[in-house]
Amino acid sequence: MYDDREELSLDELLPPAQVTRAMILLTNLCGAEIVLLRHPEAQATPVEFSLEPVAWLKSDLPIPQRRAAAALLELLLFHAAKYRLAANLHLTATEANYQELQQQHAALQASEARYRLLSESLQERVDSQVRTIRESQQKLYESARLRAVGQLAAGMAHEINTPIGFISSNLRTAQEYLGEITESAEAESNLGELIEDFHSLLEESLDGANRISGLIRDIRLFANIDQTDHRHFDLNALIETTLRLLQPDLATPDTVTLRLDRLPRIPGYPAKIGQAIHNALTNALRSLGDEGKVVVTTRPVDDMIELTVQDNGHGMSQEVRERAFEPFYTTREVGMGSGLGLPVILDVVTAHHGRLNLTSEVGQGTCLTLWLPIAGQAS
Amino acid sequence: MPNKIVLKIVYYGPAMSGKTTNLLQLHALLDPQRMGELMVMETRDDRTLFFDMLPIGFQQEQTLDIRLKLYTVPGQVEHDSTRKAVLSRADGVIFVADSQLNQQENNAVSFENLADNLHKVGLDIERIPLVVQFNKRDLSRIVEEKTLRERWSSSAWWPLVLSSALKGHGVIETFERLLERLYPAVNEAHGLSRHYGIDRSVFLERLTRCREDHHVR
Ligand SMILES: Nc1nc2c(ncn2[C@@H]2O[C@H](COP(=O)(O)OP(=O)(O)OP(=O)(O)O)[C@@H](O)[C@H]2O)c(=O)[nH]1
Ligand SMILES: [Mg+2]
Repeated sequence: MYDDREELSLDELLPPAQVTRAMILLTNLCGAEIVLLRHPEAQATPVEFSLEPVAWLKSDLPIPQRRAAAALLELLLFHAAKYRLAANLHLTATEANYQELQQQHAALQASEARYRLLSESLQERVDSQVRTIRESQQKLYESARLRAVGQLAAGMAHEINTPIGFISSNLRTAQEYLGEITESAEAESNLGELIEDFHSLLEESLDGANRISGLIRDIRLFANIDQTDHRHFDLNALIETTLRLLQPDLATPDTVTLRLDRLPRIPGYPAKIGQAIHNALTNALRSLGDEGKVVVTTRPVDDMIELTVQDNGHGMSQEVRERAFEPFYTTREVGMGSGLGLPVILDVVTAHHGRLNLTSEVGQGTCLTLWLPIAGQAS
Repeated sequence: MPNKIVLKIVYYGPAMSGKTTNLLQLHALLDPQRMGELMVMETRDDRTLFFDMLPIGFQQEQTLDIRLKLYTVPGQVEHDSTRKAVLSRADGVIFVADSQLNQQENNAVSFENLADNLHKVGLDIERIPLVVQFNKRDLSRIVEEKTLRERWSSSAWWPLVLSSALKGHGVIETFERLLERLYPAVNEAHGLSRHYGIDRSVFLERLTRCREDHHVR
């Protein structure tokens, strides 16, 4: 950068060729040789620019003429300097402007980088929040499943109670009969009839015991719910099992009708699908009025299996339908359910790369359709 | 070789406030031991384009060579980068304000611009020797002295100098005031009084010496 404290030298003021030309002209004008010196010498006349001697003139000319020659050269230098100084200043100003621009540019880039960093960390925070929400949703989902299992267990206890009741009463009667048999054996009368009755009692008890063991098998299957076992399974059998578990919730035995086509076994997580079917049936049953019916169908459609759960219950308004998949949305009273039924079904179906459709009409009922791939790629 | 000290003094202020006129008057009035040509770089309508420059100075025996380069900046707003370049490395500033009532906004803008540009070239308006001149006192529609006192008396730049550069009034006084404020810094940096026996009054006298035929102050 040009420093205006430093005085300009002769060469900076006027190019050497011009200086030479000027000296020839001066010599011709004065009619005697004039030599330009770059360093002071005795008897030489200084040539100044801005109070600073920049050259000296040496000549045999009389002093006034020598002074005039120096003054003429000074005049020349002064006007040359005007341009030189203006040009230098212009350059300085332009450079400063350019530097300022570059600094602004650098500052801009820096702030851009800062914002990029900020937005990255924002994205990270959003991601971690989303993770947290997912995890807590997962927990809710798990606890909803646990609750369902709990409800089932309660139902089962009731269901087991009945056969146990008559089994024990029958066995008591059988005990009495055995007493009578002992007496009759002595009297030898009526023996054949008693033994026959005794047979049927034992058969009934046996049947009761079988029912209990069947129920217990179902419970076990359902209690397997947390087992994340991926395998090929029979969807129809799963539906039947699930329905048996819901038996205590049915108004009449024929409340639910099954129309199940022959199906290939499909790959997936039977425990999860069972949960989805359980939720779908529970929702359907809860929507039913007095004469309510639920129809469950399965059939293969192209490379999918279509499962429908259709009820003629009170149905859903458009608003309810639109919000039905929100994790906490429920139309039931507080405490009657978390409202996680449909979201859980959606989760399960999505995890199996399936699809889902919900149609519903107030007063007409609801139809939930699931499609599950036959050749699965479930994760 | 004598020790050379070069000092740069810049006349700053809004367009048309009379900076160039100040310099023309100094050129006409001052008679220091040494004075160079007055370089004026202006457009056809007398607006300064790059700067004006007047070199003055004095030498003391063969020991000291003091030069003052008096510059003006172009006041027009659009020449800001030129103003900044001229201002760089200044040792002192004379702010020429226009006293006319309708110019007060321009004065304020220009003063702020001065502070800004000083900062940009690494100088501090609170510390640089600075004199504020209110010029064109010969006109009629001007800010009253009372008002100026109210506005400026609590600032570091009080007292102001009132001037009519056109008539040559207050121009030398402004320059003298600046030299007064400049002297301590120069003395400290170069030991003017210690090494050369130049105290403040000598410094002022040698640089504000006027021609015999002019005694306008
Ligand atoms: N009445 C009056 N006019 C003045 C005075 N000082 C300067 N002027 C006039 O104001 C006009 C501008 O003066 P300049 O000295 O060129 O102003 P400047 O501050 O150098 O202006 P720029 O170079 O454009 O920044 C000229 O016509 C001067 O004659 C003054 O004290 N009184
Ligand atoms: Mg000017």
